[in-house]
Amino acid sequence: MKQLTDLATPFASVAEALISAEGTVPWLKKLRQDALTQFNVLSLPAKKEEDWKYTSLWSLSQQSFNHHAESVVIAADDVDAVALLQDAYRVVIVDGVFSDELSDIDALQSGLSISALSESVEQLEHKLGKQTELTKAGLNALNTMLMSEGVVISVEAKIQVEKPIEIIVVNTGNTANLATHLRHKIELESGARATVIEHYVGLTQDSYFTDVVTEVNLAESAELTHYKLQQESNNAFHIATLAAHQAQNSQWLTNNISLGAKLARNDIHSQLLGEQSHVTLDGLYLVDGEQHVDNHTRIDHAVPNTTSDELYKGVLDGNSHAVFNGKVMVHKDAQKTDANQSNRNLLLSRGCEIDSKPEMEIYADDVKCGHGSAIGQLDEDQLFFLRARGLDEVSARSLLTYAFAVEVLTRIPNQVIRDALAEVIEQRLPKTGGKV
Amino acid sequence: MLEIKNLHASVDGKEILRGINLTVNAGEVHAIMGPNGAGKSTLSNVLAGRDGYEITQGEVIYKNENLLELEAEERAQRGVFLAFQYPVEIPGVSNIYLLKAALNAVRKYQGLEELDAIDFLTLVRSKMELVKMDEQFLHRSVNEGFSGGEKKRNEILQMALLEPSLAILDETDSGLDIDALKIVSEGVNALRSQERSIIMITHYQRLLDYIVPDFVHVLSKGQIVKSGDKELAKELEKTGYSWVHDQPEGLSA
Repeated sequence: MKQLTDLATPFASVAEALISAEGTVPWLKKLRQDALTQFNVLSLPAKKEEDWKYTSLWSLSQQSFNHHAESVVIAADDVDAVALLQDAYRVVIVDGVFSDELSDIDALQSGLSISALSESVEQLEHKLGKQTELTKAGLNALNTMLMSEGVVISVEAKIQVEKPIEIIVVNTGNTANLATHLRHKIELESGARATVIEHYVGLTQDSYFTDVVTEVNLAESAELTHYKLQQESNNAFHIATLAAHQAQNSQWLTNNISLGAKLARNDIHSQLLGEQSHVTLDGLYLVDGEQHVDNHTRIDHAVPNTTSDELYKGVLDGNSHAVFNGKVMVHKDAQKTDANQSNRNLLLSRGCEIDSKPEMEIYADDVKCGHGSAIGQLDEDQLFFLRARGLDEVSARSLLTYAFAVEVLTRIPNQVIRDALAEVIEQRLPKTGGKV
Repeated sequence: MLEIKNLHASVDGKEILRGINLTVNAGEVHAIMGPNGAGKSTLSNVLAGRDGYEITQGEVIYKNENLLELEAEERAQRGVFLAFQYPVEIPGVSNIYLLKAALNAVRKYQGLEELDAIDFLTLVRSKMELVKMDEQFLHRSVNEGFSGGEKKRNEILQMALLEPSLAILDETDSGLDIDALKIVSEGVNALRSQERSIIMITHYQRLLDYIVPDFVHVLSKGQIVKSGDKELAKELEKTGYSWVHDQPEGLSA
């Protein structure tokens, strides 16, 4: 049997080509080179690593990927059809390439800047890689040495962005086994407010690989509402890191909805570095068939008087497998920390598997922390009640499943986004009874 | 309307109903009274179609159909309504959604179109007046955080909206204070009609002061041991249930 290290080589050769390409600015060359060096040491994570105990990248490493997308044209209507929101600043990436034509960022309000990474990377010296540690895992190194597209959003001090910004990442299936390596950077200066949606969509059921790192930096009193909606092909790999640094009094509300992909892995990390900062870290995974989803979250309460609230819910059907690992670190001086974490799972079949591991490490003594994990099935009394009111069994099950799932949307302040996400979730439920 | 013949039912191999015979004609209100453990709730659950009961003997004919062969939802669609003793809370499902889904399920069976949003709301509002419920209850999750009285009123609201042919009220009076009992009773009385039959299952005579039955039956150890009119309930109130235990086994009044 080959080792993962050997099989990971193709990624390294693509990186070498990028590094030696003419015209690469020296600092980026160095960043990629350092990442490649790390990747050659770390390789893709293996199951013996604690953080990868339940998720194997074997099938990813077995596959060879194409790093050059053939050019493809898709219609604006096709983007409208998959977009979560119609009234939004829209940034569209098709098969790993930014599409100016399909995007709607020409008339931005003042104080807001949105650009494609491929067009602005030279201005990002000292900005990239601040929220992620190259050395932490092979996957961040992989992304850093290969990142070729993404979206860079910055909002100036005290500016409130009026419309949500939806980043739509589409895989058309036009290029077989395409790998795309995306890096998004969201930067809010002090007192700025914005809403950003990362939306990943597969138009086919083909195999491909989306690798994304999103770095978020929130200055003092900045407020970011952030959603991630992952609707990749059921044969795709989706590997993502989302990391934020939060200064004093900043608020980050994020909701991570994972519906697609054969293998999806999210590493989500908030560092509460300033007092009175807060993070709400919610998520939902809805998987069936042979899908595998792994959410690793981590919240660092680094200073006193910070708060966090986390609710992750899962609905599992078929032979799917879900992993939840939520770590909350309360550091030594982080007195008066208030942290809440909950992971609840609904199992709809006998073949599915959930590994749920909520963790709290507390080194301060004056804190309020609670966490819990629950795994259950649909409630028979509720089912009978609905059937006794005339709903057939399929509709009753579907309604209860929906009700379980949409609880993760309750903290979304924007009604339009909440309704749009609720509709996406409803459509994803087992559809045999029809809407009542 | 309903004919129960020699009905025997067991739970986990233990026989709970041991030969129930009861005929309920259209428009009649029957009260079934009895001590704890007599089989009152089992009877209502068996009639409504809850899983987990084994019918070992007998039959139940409802509108010329074998009721026991129908699924719970099929019974509901045909006009059988169970008002639950303990209405469940369903977080995440709004009351209005439930009411609409339930009404449309019944209408679909009847071959009727779904009501549009405006007609539906007008209808629901008129029914809510009947049980003095505020409109805010429509937008709350089903029974979540409702008081005992609010839950029971919500059951009667569902009954009023669905207009069943046969309503089974399982201990509808339990947990109600006197004001709530009056509201619930008025709601039920307003729904009495020549086409609708009601079976009230209760431990106490109190409810029967407000909803006056045509017939009263005493259930003990899985059998109806005595039947009469509303005077029987008053007698029970005086003497308690102790005497029913002294009745010889297998005796049907």
